[in-house]
Amino acid sequence: MERIGVFICECGPNIKEALNVEEIAKYASSLAHVAFVKSHTLLCAEAGKALLKKEIIERNLSRVVIAACSPKEHESTFMKIAEEAGLNPYLVQIANIREHCAWVISDKVIATEKAKVIIRTAVSRVLLHQPIVNKEIDCTPDALVVGAGVAGIEAALVLAQKGRKVYLVEKSPNIGGRVVRYEDVFPKFECATCMLDPKLDEILHKNNIHVFTYSVVDEVLGYFGNFIIKIKKKARSVSTETCLGCGACFEACPVNVKNRYNENLNERKAIYIPFVGALPNVAVIDRKNCLHFRNKATENTEEKKCEICKANCPFGAINFDDQDEIIEIKVGSVVLATGFDSFIANKIPRSGYGKFENIYTGLEFERILSSTGPTGGEVILKNGESPKSAAIIHCVGSRSKKFHNYCSGVCCTYSLTFAHIIKKKSPNTEVFNFYSDFSLAGKGYHELYDKALEDGVNLIRTAGPDAVEVNEDAGSLVVKYKDAAGKESKLAVDMVILSTAIEPSEDATSISQLFDITLGSDGFFTEEHDKLAPVSTTTGGIFIAGCCQGPKDIQSSVAQGAAAAGKILSCLVPGEKLKLEATIAEIDEKLCSGCKICIGLCPYKAIYFDKEKKVAAINDILCKGCGICSAACPSGAVKARHFTSCEITAEIKEIMK
Amino acid sequence: MIKPKVAFCWEASCGGCEEAVLDLNEDILKVIEAVDIVFWPIALDFKYADIENMNDNEIDVSFISGAIRLNEQEETVRLLRKKSKLIIAFGSCAHLGGIPALANFWDRESILKKVYREAPSVINPEGKEPQVKTKTASGELELPEFYDTVKALNQVIDVDYYLPGCPPSPDLIMQTITAILENNLPPKGSVIGPAKTLCENCSRKDSKPDIMTLKEIKRPHEVIIDPEKCFLAQGLICLGPATRSGCGERCIKANMPCRGCFGPTDNVIDQGSKFLSALASIVDFNDEEEIKKVVDSVADMTGTFYRFTLASSLIKRKRRLK
Repeated sequence: MERIGVFICECGPNIKEALNVEEIAKYASSLAHVAFVKSHTLLCAEAGKALLKKEIIERNLSRVVIAACSPKEHESTFMKIAEEAGLNPYLVQIANIREHCAWVISDKVIATEKAKVIIRTAVSRVLLHQPIVNKEIDCTPDALVVGAGVAGIEAALVLAQKGRKVYLVEKSPNIGGRVVRYEDVFPKFECATCMLDPKLDEILHKNNIHVFTYSVVDEVLGYFGNFIIKIKKKARSVSTETCLGCGACFEACPVNVKNRYNENLNERKAIYIPFVGALPNVAVIDRKNCLHFRNKATENTEEKKCEICKANCPFGAINFDDQDEIIEIKVGSVVLATGFDSFIANKIPRSGYGKFENIYTGLEFERILSSTGPTGGEVILKNGESPKSAAIIHCVGSRSKKFHNYCSGVCCTYSLTFAHIIKKKSPNTEVFNFYSDFSLAGKGYHELYDKALEDGVNLIRTAGPDAVEVNEDAGSLVVKYKDAAGKESKLAVDMVILSTAIEPSEDATSISQLFDITLGSDGFFTEEHDKLAPVSTTTGGIFIAGCCQGPKDIQSSVAQGAAAAGKILSCLVPGEKLKLEATIAEIDEKLCSGCKICIGLCPYKAIYFDKEKKVAAINDILCKGCGICSAACPSGAVKARHFTSCEITAEIKEIMK
Repeated sequence: MIKPKVAFCWEASCGGCEEAVLDLNEDILKVIEAVDIVFWPIALDFKYADIENMNDNEIDVSFISGAIRLNEQEETVRLLRKKSKLIIAFGSCAHLGGIPALANFWDRESILKKVYREAPSVINPEGKEPQVKTKTASGELELPEFYDTVKALNQVIDVDYYLPGCPPSPDLIMQTITAILENNLPPKGSVIGPAKTLCENCSRKDSKPDIMTLKEIKRPHEVIIDPEKCFLAQGLICLGPATRSGCGERCIKANMPCRGCFGPTDNVIDQGSKFLSALASIVDFNDEEEIKKVVDSVADMTGTFYRFTLASSLIKRKRRLK
């Protein structure tokens, strides 16, 4: 025999004055299975909670209905009290007579009648509730961070706490990502390399951070709390222990290759360190171009013996026999901070990029401004002269129906930063910024606009991102544009800088498949919720940070890195088990016919097909109880715990009665 | 030994269920040997009066096929209920409303108008429609009243068991009769048949892709159907995932997709909406226009998804427009 207790909260005057509590209490007493009814001025206060606990025990109540505020407010409070009183917390049902009744109905008589229906419905539902026990599983607090740019570095440093190992995997031979290659970053024009250096040092020297440069993630198995990950450490051919980065090898190397780390603006050798100051300061052999390996492959016997670098290394660090290595690690969670790529400007022929000289993309120009870059930081033309004039064209690839619909967010700020630095380095250069709208939200960002005006930068408003064209005429670059008023004009300049969009990195798709996360239509990783869960994904234990989630500036990337790490710190605690979601879905094997409708629907990839039993099955650890499978299951075999069809139907029937 | 008294009766139905009893073939002899048939309009010459004259609960089991669409049918089943210990809703129409209940997409007035005045083959210049009572020179004639809404059997009388199918398979019929004779029946209200849906026994189950998706929906006459591959995976609407098994997969074996005659499982209230929900879930488009194209390609969606269950579904019938 069930003994239901109905507790009515007056919520101070909130409920008490809007409806007749006495009448409701009397009505509740008349309902079947209701053994006890009590009203109280404020159930969520200490006295209320104490009363609730005492009555549940003394009256030997088997189920409880709390007629009070929204379950969003105090359901967990009352579930906790029920648990303290020895009742399974899922045997509690909230009847919301405040938000759904007292606050929205001015007529006391009508409000009282509605409250009766709400309570009657809750009683009918609570009778069907099943006790649910929270499951816990063993897990590892260790974490994997993919991508050693600013976001990944921040995540790794925040995560690297007592009792926790962090594995940092970076595909390049060096860490620091894009930012380490910038010179002056907005809004305060600090040197990014100098700013990052101490952080990079910390990463390389912290005992519990294991850095894998020149490495990629090869395989991901398992789930939140217990991932097994294979890292492929590519053969560097140079020992990281003995190489000091002295440079003797690449000075001697006979092969010249375009240097991708300087945006292909200059050359490096087949054995190289990407740029001066790259960390770890260890050389790497590019086997595709190295004569030793190339000739091995083509069986070119004459040049086969090229071992010049080895002969020149004073430390014996060169190892031609180095092999790719697979390292297996166990982690509980993953932060993906895999960054972005720059829009390829020659997709827009009218940008002139790739056709004419002295046209640079944003990232190329960053390297030109860098003291470790191809020009040593000097703003000069291909012929070595300093430009008399430079045009900076905003929104190249952004805000375009044809390319990227979104605003890349950072181009206005870096374009004005470029203008300021050009003026500083080369005061006689006339600078023109061709913009159509300014996006300068952010601390200290709009001040860059004022600074540009102070510097005497010409800000030319165009009719839109597509209204600018770059041609060549008599050896000079000519910017043809339509201004905001619709007037067409031409302007001859020596140099053009294209503020190219941020776009998803080329490996975004393969990474998303590897880690089973979703990509948005723009190609960036999709967050669990755009506002409320911006660094988690719908795959448990996989977090995202920085530009792999969407275009953003350095501070936002760092903030996301820290946020992702914080999420992990709070949910995977060393020595503690992982508490699983209680109200998840379950599949009744006796009803499932294996139609497979549900399998592809789960946003958390929690459903799999049990090939032996030929039925669908749910992984308890991954299921979050969203209910999609339950709604879709055509045979009614999937039950969403605590939201079963029976419970919902019972509620509807009572309301309609 | 006194043989149990059994009645068979058909209401709004095609007669297929009665045929199914005869499809027991030689087994029918065992049945006849074991029971005493007291009423069977299709085969034996008993009158309503014979039933009226019986004591209450004198009949052990009445098998009733067909839905209820006329007042005569309602009177008959009420009479059988009174005189029977057990009532078994026999076949889809009695169980769920069946094909006759598709008439619930219209109402009495529009049906009579269409059939007696508008149908191309009808010549009826005076616009006459059948009446319950008609005065003639030789006296007043009476016809059964034609209801506005077709009902499943349990919407008119209390039903003890349901034997699904259009028609029920001979195996299930024999299983039921055996259970009755051996007094080995499941709890009252049960649908006699397996708990799982058709995919469980479908010979094409292993041909299903790991993830079910749909980009277009085709109708059987538009394509050459692969006889080995899951119909749904071929883009053909097959109600198998939403339909109780136990039919012997007769349609599937004839290379036709399941139409849903066995109705939903015990855990599903509304087979049509459940199937719609499942189908909508696997439409593999995010663009609204593309989705609309797929949805629009389903010819007669309600008729297809509620083919046998409209009367007993949540929607029951088309709303009357006042």
